[in-house]
This record gives sequence, structure tokens and C-alpha cells, in this order.
Amino acid sequence: MSDFILGPFWNFAVIVFTAGVVGRIAMILMCGLSKDLAAARGSSVKGAAGTIARRFFPRKETIRSNRFHIIAGYMFHIGLLALLFFAAPHVQFLKNHLLGFGWPAMPHWAFILSAEIAFAGLILLWLRRVMHPVTRLLTRLDDHLAAWLTFFAMVTGCLALFESFAGLRVLHVLGVELLMIYFPFSNLMHAFTFFLSRGASGARAGRHGVKA
Amino acid sequence: MIWAGVLLLLGTFTLPVLPYLWASASNDIASLDTVQNNPRANFWRNVRTGTAGYSAVGGPEANVLINNDGQNWRQFRMRLLAPYGSYLMGAVLFTIAIFYALRGPVQHLSNEPKELLLRFSVYQRVVHWFTAILFWILALTGLILLYGRFVLIPLFGSSGFALTASASKEAHNLFGPIFIVALFLLVIEYARDNFYRKGDLSWLIKGGGMLGKHASAGRFNFGEKIWFWLVLLLGTIISFSGIILDFANLNFDRNTLELAHVLHGIAAILFISVSFGHIYLGTIGTKGTLRGMTTGYVEQAWAELHHDKWRPDDGATPEASRVPGAPNE
Amino acid sequence: MFSTSTSDPEPDFEKGAVALKQQIDWRIASYFSSCVHCGLCAEACQFYVETGDPRYTPIYKLEPLKKVWRQEYTFFGKMAKALGITKPLSEEDFIDWEDLVYDSCTLCGRCSMVCPVGNDISYMIRKEREGFCAAGYAPDGLKEATKRAVDTGSPMGVTWKALSAQIKHIEKETGLPVPVDIKGAEYLGLLSSLEIMGFPEYISSLTRILHQAGVSWTLSSETFEATNSGIQIGDSRVAAELVERVLKVATDLEVSNIISPECGHAYTAIRWESANLIGKPIPFRVVHIVELLDELQRNGRISTTGKTDVKVTFHDPCNLVRKGGVVEEPRRLLNSVASNFVEMKQHGVMNWCCGGGGGVSANDRASDLRLAAFNIKKRQLDELGVKTLVTACANCRNILEEGIEHNEMDVEVVGLTELVAEYLDPPEAEESGGAP
Repeated sequence: MSDFILGPFWNFAVIVFTAGVVGRIAMILMCGLSKDLAAARGSSVKGAAGTIARRFFPRKETIRSNRFHIIAGYMFHIGLLALLFFAAPHVQFLKNHLLGFGWPAMPHWAFILSAEIAFAGLILLWLRRVMHPVTRLLTRLDDHLAAWLTFFAMVTGCLALFESFAGLRVLHVLGVELLMIYFPFSNLMHAFTFFLSRGASGARAGRHGVKA
Repeated sequence: MIWAGVLLLLGTFTLPVLPYLWASASNDIASLDTVQNNPRANFWRNVRTGTAGYSAVGGPEANVLINNDGQNWRQFRMRLLAPYGSYLMGAVLFTIAIFYALRGPVQHLSNEPKELLLRFSVYQRVVHWFTAILFWILALTGLILLYGRFVLIPLFGSSGFALTASASKEAHNLFGPIFIVALFLLVIEYARDNFYRKGDLSWLIKGGGMLGKHASAGRFNFGEKIWFWLVLLLGTIISFSGIILDFANLNFDRNTLELAHVLHGIAAILFISVSFGHIYLGTIGTKGTLRGMTTGYVEQAWAELHHDKWRPDDGATPEASRVPGAPNE
Repeated sequence: MFSTSTSDPEPDFEKGAVALKQQIDWRIASYFSSCVHCGLCAEACQFYVETGDPRYTPIYKLEPLKKVWRQEYTFFGKMAKALGITKPLSEEDFIDWEDLVYDSCTLCGRCSMVCPVGNDISYMIRKEREGFCAAGYAPDGLKEATKRAVDTGSPMGVTWKALSAQIKHIEKETGLPVPVDIKGAEYLGLLSSLEIMGFPEYISSLTRILHQAGVSWTLSSETFEATNSGIQIGDSRVAAELVERVLKVATDLEVSNIISPECGHAYTAIRWESANLIGKPIPFRVVHIVELLDELQRNGRISTTGKTDVKVTFHDPCNLVRKGGVVEEPRRLLNSVASNFVEMKQHGVMNWCCGGGGGVSANDRASDLRLAAFNIKKRQLDELGVKTLVTACANCRNILEEGIEHNEMDVEVVGLTELVAEYLDPPEAEESGGAP
């Protein structure tokens, strides 16, 4: 079982993830877009770059009414990115199996802190999702699956800490594989497509001379 | 406020007693060895009482050759905490079951159409469930660590349990600090309505309405208030002792860790036991209560029965206050 | 020769479904792929903020379009549709969403400014309306206005006869000629029916300012209407037809510039959508009157004397700030004629809409909701305690006045062009007119 998870199933997950993400993006771009024929008022390239950068931060006018969401959102995303790219086993893995080069991993205490921040953010966001009338209305099964799979992958990763048991490590790999397989079919895709959506809006706004 | 003070006082008085309980258990164990005649016995007896030796290993207490307190702590955990904890939790569950069988759920007379009142805001509900989720993650992993060897080893075998125990320990250590944050947010958010108010005592005398007579209450009744302050008290004990245990690598000495563990275990068992009552009353025990914590809204009839002196801030049904075009002020 | 889908009385679901599918470009596909249902757009929408009804969450108004995208462009969506797990798009969707798509959205675009993944939600609602309109599910008020616009050239049915009467009156009042059908003029002036009927002071102000600046301009007796019901209801064919009428007279009169009047969506229609509607770039420069006045003032071609010291604030028309980037121009103009100009807390690209844009003002059944949405504007005004509100859109002005009257507030709404004209250096010895 663990041979299967670490071997063929891992390869399968990698293929589904890579092909799926590339395929999804290709499918989006293949929808086409008619050229804007109106005379430009500003630069669409600058607009796109600006919006991609600016939307990492909330507009100051919206902070007050969305503060809970903003704080929890940052906690989850920053924590998760720190875990994903700076946890020592991940750095090792990327170096040995994917990139061939590594970078300094974060110390153990920072790992724990990142994990706690990410977990707190994820749980809070999910709770807000099920409690707030707006998100209750918008939420679909996909949103729950994405949240739970992410939680499962994260929690198994933390249980496998110190890699004291091979079984726990395999469980973590399984969690990640399930997440990777589900990823291209879900709105987890926003991790890649936010670039497109922000860019598209920013380009249009930039052309219109609007700082969006 | 008065009640808070009483509880805090009670807490401060009982806290120092707890180590004695532990010490009395350990005395029994230590006295077993006193009838030996071996001349080397005195030497080893001295060693066991903590006479310092020499060790090349650095760190606190590295020169203690035999740590007798450790054995005492182990005896406490295995012979007192585990069995009596399970008796207590079992007794609470049993009492609840009997009570439910005899009394059944408390029902309010539902009126049609149902007028709804906003009882808990989105944030209040989120904070409640945030704490609840973490509480149960910690309770389950904690119970696995304490009772796993009795329950899980026979079920899954020892190698499976080794994995489960390791995973539980990591999860327990990881989610513990988040629970502290949740507890903090919870206390800040809910404290306002949980101070003692006039009439709370008469609510208690009437048995919270369970004895037949109607008991008046504000937003929170006295039972809920007691639960709130217990959460604060037990939560604080668990948090501080938990931090010590979680960061054991910060050079705490053994006695501190043992004391922290004893407090942690006792408080946790009490916390879990009382939470059974909270969960019972919040779900099947009283009809219409749970929806207040899920959707945020309760029926007016429910409020009149359980919290007749409570006036919600906006006082209106959600539908009525949200009709498009209704005047805003 | 020309028929519109709006004149078709029978709802046609198939047409609507096809039209919805045609709207999906990669921009929209990326938007739906990115949306994580966070709901942050709700707090940006005044219909949600003022009613608390989650149905008014901007992205929720796009469920029908999203359904089409999901079932046509996503793996699980296609599969679920094939297996019959999800219901395909149906007539019900059009029926249930019509009020969300038309009554509770002014296309103000405020939600598009806050989405963390950058979704341009108002762009999508504009597109979604194409499907609803094709299916025949649009509010009667908007359908009628569109029909009148196609038939008579004006959504309010204003004829050249009515305008020429106004022009005669204005010429008498200002002592200046109002140029009509002057071939070879530099600028083609356009108007909105609302200005002709409700705020003719705009025309006299325009005449006086452009006269002082020495701008050669003309109105056209054939097409004088700038507004475009087609882009409000979501009928690109009507929108193109209305735009073509403007472009035709601009070509006939050999002008090189077109002036959009004080109207938000007319500016969007002619400035930004016209070329795309007819499928080729237009050989004219299009400016909003506020842009033109600012340009003339900076070039020293118009000069004013004195300033009002009354406390005034400016209501940004959504189409100017969020669709056209016209943010600084009105402020420079306003500061040149007002010494006590104060900003509302949320202004510029984050202003709150008057509540009547995007065709909502032409939609009678939405009037209660629109007044609820106005409350946020009321609070903004109350906070500042201003008695004079300046704007640069006749529709905003009309809606603001309605809201002010409904709430019995003591606030006067003034057009920016009029305010500038009021402080214009007097030409020769003529009586100053155009005061509101």
C-alpha cells in the first residue's frame, strides 16, 4: 500500500496536477477575447501589473467591514505558503526531486508558528463560510472539499513531524496526492488563475485610465 | 462579577491543594521499600531521594541518578488520573442519560408564524465553534494519550497505537496554542453578558426551570454563566500547564513538568465532563437552542421560555428588518 | 429593416441560453475559475449593505452565467450535466434572477474594485444582461425605454421639436446662438433627454462656456441623444444601432471630436463601447464634457472669476471614475469655482453610486430598492453636512434629487458645467444666466 502511494500513485498525482493545471489555463485562454478597439486612455500592461500587485492588499475603504476576513485570509495564505516553501522537509524534497537546488529552510519554531497561523486561519475561514449568510449562499460542495483536503494534507504533514513514523509520512503524501488530483478540477485553481483574472481586469482598467 | 470573584477565590484555594493530593499518592508508593535490610539499601535509598551524583550530560537535573518523583508522577497518572477520570466522565454521561430518559427535552410552545430573534452574531458563532472544534481535537487526542493503551492497543495492536499516539501527541501540541488564542477571543467576546446579575440566584434556586417552575433569565442564565467562568478557569489552568508541557525543551525542571501535567490532566478531565452537560443542554436537552448557535436565530417563543429578560439589540425579526426599501433609521 | 429582440413579446429561452454562452470569453472564464466564493464583494455593494439580503451579493447575481460556464467549460460541470446530476440552465434561472440582474445592480463597478482575485464583476453582469435580454427577461420599464430609443431616438421620447423649442428659449436667454447642423465644426455636442427636459440649464451653460472658449461646435438635429438604452438592457444590436446614429451625424457634419454630455453611461457607450459595438475603431476623439472643460481651462481658454464659499461636495458618476478614469478633472474644475470643496469619505474610484445607474432609474419596479440603496448616499451627505452637491451626470442628478426629496433633506444638486458657467467671466455686457 505504501509502495503504491509513494510510487505509481505519486506519479499519477503529479501528472494529473500538471496536465490539469496547464489544461485548465489553456481552456481558459482558448475562450478568446475580442480586441478592445476603443482608443486607449492609459497603458494596459501597466494596468495589469498594477492590479496584480495591488490586489494582494485590501483597499483601505473596505478594511473595516471585512477585517475578520482579511486577517483570517492573510493568516491562512501566509502560513500555508511558509509551510509549503520553507518547511525543511519540503525544501529537501524540492531540492532532491524537482529543482536540484535548495534554499535555507525555516527553523523548527518558525515551522510550528506558521502551521498554527495557517490552521487558525483555515478553520476561521471555513467557519465564516458556514456561518455568514453571504458565504452560506455562495458555498458549494467544491468549496468544502477544497478546504477539507487542504486541512487533511496540512494536518497529516504536521503529524508526520520529525518523520518518526514512516506510516505517518505516507499518510501525508497521500493527503498531498489527493489534493493535487483534486486541484485542477476545483477553485483551488485560483492559486494560478488569480494572475489571469487580476491581469485581465487590470489591463482593461489600465486601458481606461482607471487605477483598479 | 461577584460570582467571578467567588470562583477565582475558590480556584486559588484549591490549586495548592492539588499537589498534596498527588504527594499523598506518592507517599504510599515510597513507603513500600522501607522494610529492606540490605546494607547497600541505604545508599540506594539516598539516591532515590535525589542525592546528586555525577553525569557528563548537561542540562537541569542531569546529575539526579534516580528520579523518584518521576515514578510517583507515573503512579498518579496510571492509578489515579486515568481510572478516576474515566469514572467521572462515565458518571456524568450516565447521569445525563438518566435525566434525559426521565425528563426528556425541554420544549417551548412554538408559535406560527415563527418570529425569529438574532441571538448570536456571525463573529460570536465563529468564535464559539472555533473554540469548540479545537477543544474536541485536543480532548480526543488527549484522551488517546491517556487511555489509548487501554482502549486502542487491544483494538489496533501496539504498532498501530505507536503511530496513533505519536500523531496524537503532535496534533495535541500543535493545536494547543491555537486553543489558547480561541479561548482568549471567546472570553473577550462573551464576558460582557456573563457577569452576575440580580435574579441569577433565584434562577439557580428554581433549578433553572427544570423543577417545574419557570425561571427567569437574561441573555445568559446562571448555568451558562457558571459554564463561562469554568471555561475561563479550567481553560487558564490547561493553557498555562499546557504551554509548559508543550515547550518542555525550555529547561523546566522535572517537578514543574510533573506538576503541570497533574494540573493539566485534572483540569482537562473536569473540562470534558462539564462540557458533556453543556453539549447536552445545547443540543437534545432543550429544543431550539442549537439553531441559535448555527443560524444565529432563535424563535421568540424559545426566548420567552428560557431568556425572558433578554432583549436582542435589534429586537426585530430578520425578515422584517431586511425588507428592501424599509426605512433604515 | 431593423428589429430588436426587445420588441419580441414572447420570452425565448433558447435564444437567451445561446446568448449567455456567447458571452464567455477568457476574461470571464478566468474570473469564474478564480472565484473562491469569499463573499467580499457583498460589502462593496450598496444593495447588500443597505438591505443585508445575501441575494444581493454581486457574484451571486452571476449564477446563471456561471452555470453556463460550469456546464460548458469545466470537467465536473460537464460530467454532472451529462449524468443528469445538476439541472441544466432553465427558464427558471432567468425568472429567478431577473430582478437580481436588473433591479439590484447599477453596473457601478464598485465590487470590481475590491475582489481579491481581481474579478471584474460589473463587466460580467453587463454581459449577463445580453443573455437575459435575448431571452426576453428584462424589466418592462427598460424594455419600453429601449423601444422608444430605437423608434424615436430618445429613451424618453424627446423629439427634435421639443429640443428646438428649448434652443430658441436658450438663445433668447443667453443672447448667444446655439449652433445646429454646422458642417465642419470641430466638436459635435450631444445631450441626454433628461437634460433637455429636466436640466436645460446644461445646454445654456455649454453654449456660454464654449462660446467664451471659442470652440467651434454644433448640435445635430438628426441625432442629439447620447444615452444608450442598449448597453443598459444588454442588447448589443440596439446599442450598436444607437451608436451608429451618433457616428453617422459626426461623419456627415465632418467633426473630429464628440462631446459626451453630463451623463455617465453615455460616456461609456460612446467613449468605450462604440468602436467595439460596430467592430472597428472610430475616427473621432470622444471626451466627456468634464474632460473638455478641464482641458480648456488648463489651456487658458476659459476663465472664471470668483468662487462660491458655500460648502460643496462632489458625487462621482460611477461611469466616469470606475470605467473612464475621470477622477481629477472634475476636482480641478470644482476647486477653480468653489473655495470650500470637501470630499465624502468614500470618493473617486470608491464612491457609492446614486443607486439609479445601469438602467435602474428606468425600471419602475425597482424604485423602493433604489431608495433603500440611496440611504448610503444620505449618510455620506449627512456626515459632511453639506447643502450643495455637485455632480456631472444628469441621471445621477435626477436620482439624487429623488432620494433627497424622499428623505426630506435640505440639499441642492447642481451640475458641474452649470457651476463653472455661473462663475464664467462675463462676455461683453450680457446678463448672466444659467443659475440653477
